[in-house]
Amino acid sequence: MSDPALDNAIKLAGAMVGGGLLMGGGAVGAAVGDGLAGSQTIAGVARQPESQGRLFTIMFLTVGLVEAMYFINLAFTALFVFSLYKK
Amino acid sequence: MSAVLAAPHLLAADISVGEHVQRTFLGLTFNVDTIWYTGVAMVLVLGFGMLLRARVTSGVPGKGQLLWEMVVGAVRTQVEGSIGERGVAVVPLAVALFFFILFANWLSVLGIGSKYEPVAPPTADINLTLALAIVVIVPVHWASVRARGAGGYAKHYFKPYPVLFPVNAIEEVAKPITLALRLFGNLLSGGLMLALIAALGAWTIAHVPVGNIADLIVTPVWKLFDLLIGAIQAFIFALLTILYFDTAMSDGH
Repeated sequence: MSDPALDNAIKLAGAMVGGGLLMGGGAVGAAVGDGLAGSQTIAGVARQPESQGRLFTIMFLTVGLVEAMYFINLAFTALFVFSLYKK
Repeated sequence: MSAVLAAPHLLAADISVGEHVQRTFLGLTFNVDTIWYTGVAMVLVLGFGMLLRARVTSGVPGKGQLLWEMVVGAVRTQVEGSIGERGVAVVPLAVALFFFILFANWLSVLGIGSKYEPVAPPTADINLTLALAIVVIVPVHWASVRARGAGGYAKHYFKPYPVLFPVNAIEEVAKPITLALRLFGNLLSGGLMLALIAALGAWTIAHVPVGNIADLIVTPVWKLFDLLIGAIQAFIFALLTILYFDTAMSDGH
């Protein structure tokens, strides 16, 4: 029995839940990754204070790469939620 | 209590993601606003470069010249450290990519949200970032073929172990995709956050426009953060360009 309203509702619900999982997993991963990068930077600066400038550069590079995974997840969530919501 | 519960209802139907002004030409659809703002960023980069070329001096340099020299110096150091002398052609590509993506990302400061943006960052369109990724990856493969020969290029997929061929193939496919999606995702989320913060404006607690005040305070804060993220992403794109050239042309394995 193909009730289009029900089908749409199921599709939308699936998209929302999938988007939520993407966001949750991505946020946890990005947060842990940023925390690891930051902690190693702090340890490095504590060990050798004059390397702070170089370590900061590398830390921002790592943060950018780690957060890329989260933002890729966000792009897919936006794809799921918004392009399905319009229909 | 019920006034507090009149929380900001997310006007999700109002926030449009991925909508662009489109025109069709010869059967293909073009996102005209992305093309326009790419042109704006291009004019900015070329204008900046030519202005500096007209004013370049071996005396005390001005701030623009200092910035440009810093960027070119850093890129040249990185290239010479990793690729060596053969990589001299990578330096202008990396510098141009860095400045173009930087200016294109920083165009986001002129808008306030997806529905209201007078100027949108063109890198928030997946088409532009994919095009940039192609501009990087095709020369990378070409440089790899030139450095190793066609046979060496085909064989490098089977090193260090032939059983790792699927892994190497997936990695080669993932490089342009992650390059494009990273830049796109960062910029898209920046614009989306601005739209969400603007949607806060409907929030009132007992006729006090708390949402508007919060909107006014948070928007500049978020825009500053977005500028920082735009700069970081430009830097990462240029750095990864250099690194991909390095791994493609190296005789490491």
